[in-house]
Amino acid sequence: MKTTIKILTVAAFLMTTGLESAMAHHSFAMFDRSREEFLTGTIRRWAFNSPHIALYMETEDGTLYSLEGAAPPSVMSRSPSMNGFTFQPGQTVSVVYCPLHDGRPGGALGYIIDAQGTFYSPNDGGCGPSPDWEEWVKQGYTSRAEAEAAQ
Amino acid sequence: MKNMVNKLVHSAIMLLFSTLLQAQPGPRAQLPDVVPPPQRFATSTGHYEYLYNSHNGGTSHSYDSVPKWEGLWSAQGNNSGNQLFLESLDGSPIGPFGEGENVVIKEGVLTPEYEAAFQYRRDLGVDYDRLTSCEPAGMPRWLLEPYVREFINTPSQSWWTNDLANDTRRIYINQEHKNIDGTHYAAGDSIGFWVDDMLIVHTVDIYPSDYFRGTPPTSNQFETVEVWRMETLNNGTKRLVNNVTFYDELSLVEPITVVYTFWPRQDLQALGFRMRYWECAQNDNTYLTFDDEGRPSTQYRLPGEDGYVDPRGNDRLRNPDLPAGLVGQEKSPIFNDDVQ
Repeated sequence: MKTTIKILTVAAFLMTTGLESAMAHHSFAMFDRSREEFLTGTIRRWAFNSPHIALYMETEDGTLYSLEGAAPPSVMSRSPSMNGFTFQPGQTVSVVYCPLHDGRPGGALGYIIDAQGTFYSPNDGGCGPSPDWEEWVKQGYTSRAEAEAAQ
Repeated sequence: MKNMVNKLVHSAIMLLFSTLLQAQPGPRAQLPDVVPPPQRFATSTGHYEYLYNSHNGGTSHSYDSVPKWEGLWSAQGNNSGNQLFLESLDGSPIGPFGEGENVVIKEGVLTPEYEAAFQYRRDLGVDYDRLTSCEPAGMPRWLLEPYVREFINTPSQSWWTNDLANDTRRIYINQEHKNIDGTHYAAGDSIGFWVDDMLIVHTVDIYPSDYFRGTPPTSNQFETVEVWRMETLNNGTKRLVNNVTFYDELSLVEPITVVYTFWPRQDLQALGFRMRYWECAQNDNTYLTFDDEGRPSTQYRLPGEDGYVDPRGNDRLRNPDLPAGLVGQEKSPIFNDDVQ
């Protein structure tokens, strides 16, 4: 059953972003792809660097989250497309991410949601977020587990 | 009933995996047929020399006439990777990294020692990838890795770059193999000759590698004969096709011939993408480690942790021989976004 859940998660991600983004130069063993969490904070850095883009975001309690995404050419190909100027320090955004297994403040990016409510998909194989998040955000859920338990 | 539903869901998902693996992003197009070698060759050298002789040494191109494959390209469909080495006991498709509940290694494709090594790798899972340490994919994995490539052909050399790990193949046209270094290389040593608009390439002296993450390893005896051409599909789209035969007396029972395709990325060009140096060692904070059970695994460093590399700021690990805080040393002065 555990394997099926893993496969379902990755399959959902592939359906939304394609196989290219499942590929990377490293595995995603450190990310818990069965969990999807929602956070809001202030961008400290949007690093549009090879081999992976990264978002560093500080939450209200002062915690700095390090969130990794796909490679720049992959992220540019998404809709909406992203580049190094899409997000800037000081900007408030929300994210859906798959956390590190060990509980440190970091993980794999699923979505970035700007103040206008636009969903960006900078993810690679580290996180295949549910397409239901658009609805779940409106309903105020802060994790996939919470949203699914309520339904 | 529950088991049946689970099986159906599983089959549908794996079918999706399989479809995606064969038709990576880009315009959907059927894979070209694989063209087997004209006869069975014991070695790649025998194969290449046969083609060279049967084409009378090929075509000598000038700068004007050499085929132009310019622009950006990405890997598209192929019938290589784990499709060659795995089979599903219940007919369900096989995932890109070899996933699947009833997936086993095909018998008679790999030599016994490499079949056992592949099983060893599969038993450990796919939580490890040698490329994490930033080494280039090399051959044959260069053919399957994603991201962006450029194919520059001149009459005497072709330079084919992949932005992943700055992994450049150089093909020396109408020349002999050379190895003055007494070692092998990730991309090996490639020579080739043109036959009109078709390029035939022979590659030897390749590091032991793999076809992709989660596939069997190749040995340091792995060699290839490739036949490259650009073709135009019915809808006018161009694509590059590589019909390649793998030779490896240590890992393969028989040579294998497969096809890889590449599609043009005008979409990325329109968005302003340019290939830059792939700053893996300088920017990447993932690293290889072992999990609690001693299995190879992967971890991720956060700012402030030992070994963290800063892709943007004035990183003390980069220039410890300069005074701390020296003005103008941030790699990216565009944003004030220090996260040390």
